[in-house]
Amino acid sequence: MPWVQVASSGDVRESGALGVDVEGTPVALFRVDGAVYATHNICTHQFAFLSDGYVEDGCVECPLHQALFDIRTGKAKTAPASTDLRTFAAKEENGAVYVDLTRSAGEEAETPAGEPVAPAAGTGERLVILGAGQAGARAAEAMRQAGHAGPILLIGDEDEAPYERPPLSKELLLGTTTRESIRVLPAERLSSLNVGFCSGCRVTAIDRAARTVSLSYGSSVPYDKLLIATGARARRLPAPGADLPGVHHLRTIADAEALGAALTAAKRVVVIGAGFIGLEIASAARKLGAAVTILERADTPLERLLPPAAGRVLQALAEGQGVAFRFGVQVAAIRSDVVGLRVDCAGDDSVAADVVVVGIGTEANLELARDAGLAVADGIVVDGEGRTSDPAIFAAGDVAHYPTPINGRRCRLESWQHAQEQAIAAGRTMAGQETTYSRTPWFWTDQFDRNIQMIGLPSRDASVLVRGTAGEAGSVLYLLEGGTLSAAIAFDDPQAIRDARARIESGAPVDAASLGAAPLSSTVMSGAPTACAADGASAEEYSTMDHPQPNFRWPEEGLTRIPDWVYTDETIYKREVERIFHGRTWNYVALEAEIPNPGDHVRSNVGPTPVVVSRAEDGSINVFENRCAHRAAEFCRSLRGNAKEFVCPYHQWSYDLKGNLVGVPFRRGVDGKGGMPKDFRAQDHGLTQLTVTTHRGVVFASYASDMEPLADYLGPDILGEFEATFDGRPLKVLGYYRNTLPGNWKLYHENLKDPYHATLLHTFLVSFGLLVAGNRSLMLCDESGRHGVMASAKSDGKNVSQENKKEMRAYQEGMVLEEPRFVDYRPEFDSPWSVTMMTVWPNMIVQREMNTLGIRQIVPTGPNEFIMNWTMFGFEGDDDEMLRHRLRQGNLMGPAGFLGLEDNEAIKYVQDGMKNIPDGRHLVALDPATEAGTSDTLISESAIRAMYRHWRSVMDV
Amino acid sequence: MDSIIDATAGSRQDRLLLRAEIDDFNAAYAAALDDGRLKDWPAFFTDDAFYLITSRENHDAGLPVGLVYCEGAGMLRDRAFAIEKTAMFAPRYLRHIVGTSRLLRGREDGTVEATANYLVLQTLFDRPESTIHQVGTYIDRFRRVDGVLKLQERRCVYDNLLVPNALVYPV
Ligand SMILES: Cc1cc2nc3c(=O)[nH]c(=O)nc-3n(C[C@H](O)[C@H](O)[C@H](O)COP(=O)(O)OP(=O)(O)OC[C@H]3O[C@@H](n4cnc5c(N)ncnc54)[C@H](O)[C@@H]3O)c2cc1C
Ligand code: FES
Ligand SMILES: [Fe+2]
Repeated sequence: MPWVQVASSGDVRESGALGVDVEGTPVALFRVDGAVYATHNICTHQFAFLSDGYVEDGCVECPLHQALFDIRTGKAKTAPASTDLRTFAAKEENGAVYVDLTRSAGEEAETPAGEPVAPAAGTGERLVILGAGQAGARAAEAMRQAGHAGPILLIGDEDEAPYERPPLSKELLLGTTTRESIRVLPAERLSSLNVGFCSGCRVTAIDRAARTVSLSYGSSVPYDKLLIATGARARRLPAPGADLPGVHHLRTIADAEALGAALTAAKRVVVIGAGFIGLEIASAARKLGAAVTILERADTPLERLLPPAAGRVLQALAEGQGVAFRFGVQVAAIRSDVVGLRVDCAGDDSVAADVVVVGIGTEANLELARDAGLAVADGIVVDGEGRTSDPAIFAAGDVAHYPTPINGRRCRLESWQHAQEQAIAAGRTMAGQETTYSRTPWFWTDQFDRNIQMIGLPSRDASVLVRGTAGEAGSVLYLLEGGTLSAAIAFDDPQAIRDARARIESGAPVDAASLGAAPLSSTVMSGAPTACAADGASAEEYSTMDHPQPNFRWPEEGLTRIPDWVYTDETIYKREVERIFHGRTWNYVALEAEIPNPGDHVRSNVGPTPVVVSRAEDGSINVFENRCAHRAAEFCRSLRGNAKEFVCPYHQWSYDLKGNLVGVPFRRGVDGKGGMPKDFRAQDHGLTQLTVTTHRGVVFASYASDMEPLADYLGPDILGEFEATFDGRPLKVLGYYRNTLPGNWKLYHENLKDPYHATLLHTFLVSFGLLVAGNRSLMLCDESGRHGVMASAKSDGKNVSQENKKEMRAYQEGMVLEEPRFVDYRPEFDSPWSVTMMTVWPNMIVQREMNTLGIRQIVPTGPNEFIMNWTMFGFEGDDDEMLRHRLRQGNLMGPAGFLGLEDNEAIKYVQDGMKNIPDGRHLVALDPATEAGTSDTLISESAIRAMYRHWRSVMDV
Repeated sequence: MDSIIDATAGSRQDRLLLRAEIDDFNAAYAAALDDGRLKDWPAFFTDDAFYLITSRENHDAGLPVGLVYCEGAGMLRDRAFAIEKTAMFAPRYLRHIVGTSRLLRGREDGTVEATANYLVLQTLFDRPESTIHQVGTYIDRFRRVDGVLKLQERRCVYDNLLVPNALVYPV
């Protein structure tokens, strides 16, 4: 079986590669100097197909992070790959290519080349490495590979085999990789190299005269040559509260695991510091569905590193994924309060969070070196070979302050590549093979679905050119200093990095034309999103970019669970106003009986929006926004009245009873000066008018201009119940109740789609036999699920079965009313039901509680509160006794009603319950036999589920 | 003394005494409610009393509904009993601050009309502050029953149209 035909010869060319699938194994085919070769097609660094890579000089470069592999041997030649690629035997016969997956390419490739067998210890100098991070581990390996035969001791204070840190803010946070797969060296590698490894051990001092290092264990270790690779630590936030639970710093595996768990549970994440790590954490947090705010002291991201214009490109990228930035913010303290954490900023501002992550840079672990008298700057000063001011001591990685190849600049670089390759150079030098490190700095970061690579050394003062639309895939920012390229930042475009490297290394002059780029203009509009784009290109790209909302994920269980954010989130609330109250709905606004005559009007609301409902001279009913077209003043202030016209008191603009603009004072100015522009047309500046419909004396309004008729909106069943209550008798308003309710507005709908609660919460009802589980009842839904009617027929309470009684904790025997007549039902409707509670989506409840009748209008004022306006009514022609019966029965409902007050309290309890426990969900699983919709048992939540089925489709969540 | 002195026509001294008596009455009424002695509350009323809590909006417009609308002491006792025994609500304290009363007029039938402003402060157990739950005025009619001053009618008319969530106890 071994040889498998995989391609035809003609498809495998000298340049490029061909990806094929061989019995489930992805294989890349190459042609080098005429011969075909096969390797595994997936990069050993991360998941990328090498067949998409770049082939040159017998090597393939990974498209993702530019790891370079030798095609013939699979050898990993450069960062960031360190594991060799598997190769397969390949041959050509009769115009076809064959691969043998059971054998690698050539015998000599079996044992990777250049790998000396571990030497016997004890011959040669003692090399000691402080810090078992990436630099330390790579240096140890390099020492052996360079032929060092003496003892090598690697000492690290973490209880971990050396690991790579880049995944800590990326894959490990998202849970897409494991701690074991991010090791710098494969397990057992250190022992096969015969490197002594001492973990969990801290070095406390270096004695240069004695050439020993002291260990936290108390012992000391002698060295002939010493490498300091102690890296850096995350800078702690210098503010009170930085050590509160929920406040994270990120440097180690343990940090990342703790942060990952916290982010998964968090809804609101605040990241302090807009550096690379902060941005990556923000990206991960957004992916996990949290709302993210980044607080930054400077005015742009990465201010110390990049020109502001370049920083803003990263800002726009993050904003495009819903991250909010606040710049110029100094964090004064972090507090914990009942709802979570609060980050107090200087100047009285504060931001709430479930999780706070601090990413404000690092500090080199250079105390050992400094105390030993070595030359230090912000890192340990080294030369090109990694040597410190003491020739027996070297330093590498994040802790080293080294001479870059760019304009002789020195700096401390914190990058994977530097930690890897500068450490290898130092290790080889220590092993006797003098090696100078002079690679052009290279760095990558993965954020917001972009792979961003940077080559060269950026500086704040560089001028910035852009090729393409900044931040888009394939775009490149070029940073120029003195006419040459000092750095380039490429978005999903590794090829551009290769080209830029050549230009940077050549030092040849460049300009916009030779780079095919244009100056990056940047405009900051205060309060508006930052816009960045190439001159000439559309600046709209960013400025009109809709802020995508945080990712609201519905629980997997489906409609039987409702997440808390449905009731508490500001973004959701705003979307509800837009899509529901201002969307395709009929909203109750008034009764015709309130405005019988021309000029009569009432203040009302559609959702939170104030409107005026007015009857015009022609008898028509008009609904328009209570907001002057001039300067937005809410001009109509009295609850109701009669007027000939509406005049805004601020500048006396006047409107007719339909909301049309009729008068603008000094419209033509005075003495020919001032006034409105010539082309001003009053008809274009009326009040915003809504669509109106009425049915049986009830007035509805809609922002949609093409609403279906109310009858279609309600559906036949709901319409039937509506007409049972509004049976054609003229209505008579008996008065109003108004109350606030500290809960989400939907909870009120749910309360009336929840027949389960009625017998359990409302002891009053049950005690007096008004509603018991044995009563005939129905929970009716319309087809869409948005409207509902909870109906029941009164019984006298005597025939409650023992079984039903036991179940209802609320049932109390032996309770009698002195004046029971007020709960009598006097039949007056053509309906089998004595009670119907109708919810008309989205803002109306029709209460027919026996003979006490009312309309409740929901006016939301935010996610956590709404106003309830009750209009209690009877009918013209009610005699005095019927009127008083309705009024007495009114004691059941309203904010002081025996039932009404309990519902209000219960709803408050529910909202309170969500306040202090983040990320909860509600359980609405009663009555699984009816998934959603009408149910004939009271012990059901199917109507609530039906409502959320509708809500979710409108809300897109 | 079985009939009430004409509040406007009586002697100066009579008027002062009557007003002091009504102030005492209101203080006792408030104390009963503030102490949570709901059972004692109906006894401040005559058997045929009318008790109403309504907004100024309704009152001014002559609209009859009330948040609470009780005809007769039986309904008052039913309310006191139902609130105490059946109603579910978060525990709270209320405190009634009643201003000095103002006598309006005496009637032929021996009743006296008076008003007094009131403030009801509510304290929930999970917040440090007390909130002004209701600001209003009592519009009362008093009658003596066996020499004791009783309310034949009390209309509690509140200014703050928006009731904060729920009104549990009487005003
Ligand atoms: C979250 C995160 C994300 C990153 N992402 C990227 C990226 O996307 N691209 C990129 O190029 N670079 C990235 N980097 C940078 C890169 O990981 C570092 O530059 C690299 O890890 C530096 O390696 P090092 O060996 O010098 O230091 P470290 O990896 O920090 O190792 C130093 C070790 O020494 C130990 N130590 C310190 N003092 C003592 C002592 N006295 N005794 C014993 N042991 C001691 C420390 O505990 C630590 O284990 C990232 C870094 C972090 C933290
Ligand atoms: S995935 Fe190939 S270099 Fe990173
Ligand atoms: Fe209820």
